[in-house]
Amino acid sequence: MIRRTLKLAWFKRNRYALTVVAIALSVAFIVSTLLLTTSISDVGEPLRSAYDNVDVVVTGPEVAGGDGPVQAISAPVPEAVVADLTRAGQMAVGFADPYAQVLTAEGQAGGQDQAAANVAEPWLGGSPLNGFAIVEGATPETVGEAVLDVSTANAASLDVGSTINFVTDLGVQEATLVGLATFGGADNDPYTSTILLSPEHQIFGSGDGFQRVLVADASVADVAAMAPGMEIQSGSDWVQSQQDALNDFLGFFSTFLTVFAVVAVVVGMVIVTNTFTVSLSQRTQELALLRLVGTTRRQLLSQVVLEAVLLGAVGTGIGLLLGLAGVSVLGWFLDVLGLVIERSSETSPTALAIGVIVGLGVTVVASVRPAWKSTEVAPIEALRSSEVDLVDGGGRRRFMTAATLAIGLASLAWGIAQSDILFTGVAIGAIFLALYLGADSLVRVAARMTRPILGRAGPTGTIASRNLEKNAGRTAAAASALMIGIALIGFFTLMAATIGQFIAGDAGEALETDLVVQGIGSQPEPALSDAVLEQIVGVDGVDVLVPLYQTSVSPAGDVEFERAGPGGGSGLGVALTDVEALDAAYTFVLNAGSLDDVGGSSVVIDQATADGFTLSVGDSLTVTSLAGPVDLGIAAIIETSLPGSPQPAIIGDLTLRAALGYGDPATAAYIVGPALASEVNDAIDLPTVEVVSRTDYIDGLSSNLDTILALVYALLAVAVLVALIGIANTVSLAISERVGEIAATRAAGASSRQIFWSLLAEFGLLAIVGIVSGLVFAWIAAASLFNALSGGQIGTPEVDVLTALLIVAAGLGGALIASWFPARSAATTDILDVLRAD
Amino acid sequence: MSDQTDQRNAPPATSSERTVARLVNATKRFGAGDAAVTALNDATIEFRKGEFTAVMGPSGSGKSTLMYCQSGLDRLTSGHAYIGDVDVSTLSDQELSVMRRSTLGFIFQSFHLVPALTSRENITLPVDLNADAEVDEAFLNELAVVLGIEHRLENLPSQLSGGQRQRVAVARAMIPRPEVIFADEPTGALDSKTSGELLAYLRTAVDDLGQTIVMVTHDAVAASHCDRVVYVQDGVLVDEGRNPTVDDVLGKIRELS
Repeated sequence: MIRRTLKLAWFKRNRYALTVVAIALSVAFIVSTLLLTTSISDVGEPLRSAYDNVDVVVTGPEVAGGDGPVQAISAPVPEAVVADLTRAGQMAVGFADPYAQVLTAEGQAGGQDQAAANVAEPWLGGSPLNGFAIVEGATPETVGEAVLDVSTANAASLDVGSTINFVTDLGVQEATLVGLATFGGADNDPYTSTILLSPEHQIFGSGDGFQRVLVADASVADVAAMAPGMEIQSGSDWVQSQQDALNDFLGFFSTFLTVFAVVAVVVGMVIVTNTFTVSLSQRTQELALLRLVGTTRRQLLSQVVLEAVLLGAVGTGIGLLLGLAGVSVLGWFLDVLGLVIERSSETSPTALAIGVIVGLGVTVVASVRPAWKSTEVAPIEALRSSEVDLVDGGGRRRFMTAATLAIGLASLAWGIAQSDILFTGVAIGAIFLALYLGADSLVRVAARMTRPILGRAGPTGTIASRNLEKNAGRTAAAASALMIGIALIGFFTLMAATIGQFIAGDAGEALETDLVVQGIGSQPEPALSDAVLEQIVGVDGVDVLVPLYQTSVSPAGDVEFERAGPGGGSGLGVALTDVEALDAAYTFVLNAGSLDDVGGSSVVIDQATADGFTLSVGDSLTVTSLAGPVDLGIAAIIETSLPGSPQPAIIGDLTLRAALGYGDPATAAYIVGPALASEVNDAIDLPTVEVVSRTDYIDGLSSNLDTILALVYALLAVAVLVALIGIANTVSLAISERVGEIAATRAAGASSRQIFWSLLAEFGLLAIVGIVSGLVFAWIAAASLFNALSGGQIGTPEVDVLTALLIVAAGLGGALIASWFPARSAATTDILDVLRAD
Repeated sequence: MSDQTDQRNAPPATSSERTVARLVNATKRFGAGDAAVTALNDATIEFRKGEFTAVMGPSGSGKSTLMYCQSGLDRLTSGHAYIGDVDVSTLSDQELSVMRRSTLGFIFQSFHLVPALTSRENITLPVDLNADAEVDEAFLNELAVVLGIEHRLENLPSQLSGGQRQRVAVARAMIPRPEVIFADEPTGALDSKTSGELLAYLRTAVDDLGQTIVMVTHDAVAASHCDRVVYVQDGVLVDEGRNPTVDDVLGKIRELS
């Protein structure tokens, strides 16, 4: 039987070629995704190795949680804690993690691309708490000497012996690079660019306390007794929590990539099922003949499934090879987008094994139902010239469609009315299923509706329309596959637009500043010191300078609150500024209270925060800050807060800085006046700070979003590509069963061009059904989901007509290209080849 | 190559005014080298207006090739195929398409109707393909009545019997009032009664409408309905006769095979 199957499959190889490509692409996507995610999951390992000797870690109490866009902050560990521990004979070192951005020889902000933080650490020499080890050159002995981690030195092209510059809160510092160090055996502390300086360096002498204190040869209990009010963890627990935090961050990408890989697999499965259904329908006579000569149903089923295994094996094999190459492509793409993720070059056998299981599994599962149905073909069919349609059609399918649609619409109505996430989820799932099941009906309706238009092109137009209607059961799966891809693209576009609107929309429009001064990139935020601010004021044309000090607090106690959009989460963004001056740079829409009353602990909140906490003017809100609990009085409520991510929930006066324990320099500043950005830039002369126009600033706010969106598009492009292969496949299969008809039309005088356009019109229309239903579904899903997630605060997403048209054009263009070659080859087939075959 | 160019530029061979189609020194070879088969070997023949001609011969004699080359569906290796005064070998695909829809009609053994179109749409297909042409409704109705398919015009081919399908195919061939209709074993898939009716109709079309029909067949009864029968053997026209009887034809076929 295997020989016969091989022979039959080889005979149909052209028919199956595109299916193999679809399987290969799906497998390649999932394999490369898995390989990438497994390679990035071990980056926390250097931490364990570097902090091997750390027994206890002391950190300050958490002030604001890190859920959502608000950055987590903890209170510092007072320097006295280290002094007390040392006095008691413990080996303890405090790390303040002061900001230090290394500059390249050209004076640009350099360093590793993937560094989320740029910090200075004291060189601890032979201390067991030193996570770094010199691999080249010497140790930093004096304040004028520095050591860099290997990655940073490489990225900034700095050699041992050269003079290096680095930007700190104290201004630009200079040092001689005396050595290079590794961290726990790796080239750098994960996601951190580190400059190691002598502990005597003034950068370590701020007296503001430490981010963490590492203690060796001590027990948690002993340390806890000497550091009341602090968070005390064992070294291994702390390392684990750091690893978990890193893996949480990376886990987002893993999940993200896996979801899209699964989408590609689902689309691939739809196509494989369809290919088997159509191809088996076309082989009715062959199958019936096998039954006629005595093949049992079981034998026939085995043969067809074996064929699927064969296809799956070929597709999977190609997919694995493509997947191995795909990891580099995926990694390169993440690099291009600036989402640099450290990864090892190991190839996980598990990932390859999953690829094999998925590839073979999907093909076999997709073939079973059509295979089973094909065995129901009666032997008598061999003697008839008709073919038996194996597509599930007719009443049962229509009933299922109507039922799921009814469930979907009812859940949708309830979900919208109650802003209920469960019902909304059910609605989205059911409507999607209804669209999938009812795709053939949609195709039929589209064929009928467009018949008058297509009919104008003559009988070939009518033929296109009739064929589309007649074969809807078989071809609709191609439209469904395209629908899935387009729906996801549409959904993410709407989501990005809505979030973008939150980040930069109304708030961005209300911003009237001419220029914005901000730090470039990393954490801790490159700061604008008082000296820098003074330099800016001195520039010609700077009429008003509004410095912003951004921090976060958390609501004290068990206060329940919900705040729609960015700025939510367990922390609250705070912007401290000269509120009176801010009036010149930002148009406040005052909903209640008066800005004149703002000052001291009286603050402005935006309407979203007021709604979230049910606060009115005159009420007070207790928050936990770096300086402990603080009561804030509500002096005014404004419609929209300042633009930003997080969007500040609270705007307070500069005088509140001390009360909140905020001692750092400003994080950004608005400039009102005709000053030139270049002149302000020159006056500041810091490579880590940039001056941008209002427009660039607002665009920049959503640039992270654009990056993510670009990644989503690229990942979905694979799914859409698989769907387009499905279209090409459907066209090929449809044409192969219509050679007789095409020859007859040609014999009656239709030119090959007329046949070609007729086929293109037919499959273009099919693609349009998929694209339009995808977009409509995306809109329904986005609108209802946003409504449910925001508790009704976010209205219907705005549709950018241009973007929608672009998606339609791109989808249709892809579908036409996919149809082009099979249609062309069918249109130019020699009529006689067909007639002679009779 | 130069041989072909010379042939293309050659003046039309002499013909009477009544000639609607002719082959001049027509040769058609398939394959190359040892495997080459000569299906048509220097054949010259004329088909005259208003004449019903049967082309007969044993299997593989080249009778279908003769028809395909004459109608422009296939190209000659050498020689000329004229429809009227037009050498079909000089026409582009587009020009051939236009000729098929306006000057020629085809009837095939297995009908070759377009499944997606109704009988009426199948019949009017050649006219509809011409953007400028209008269907002659009166003629369509007349054809439908004569062929007995007037109540079947809105049905799809799948709803018709074999005989009805072939009558739709005949109407489709007739509708553009072509110069010549080529029929390739038109009764091959029909029973004797239905065959008889179809042949009677073709005879009527020739007698009443002056239609020219070239029919490839191996059926002596079918050939007996014709004005003229030509015999092909090994790609060569070996004989022809006029007003053949079934016995004449059977005798000749026996002689040839």
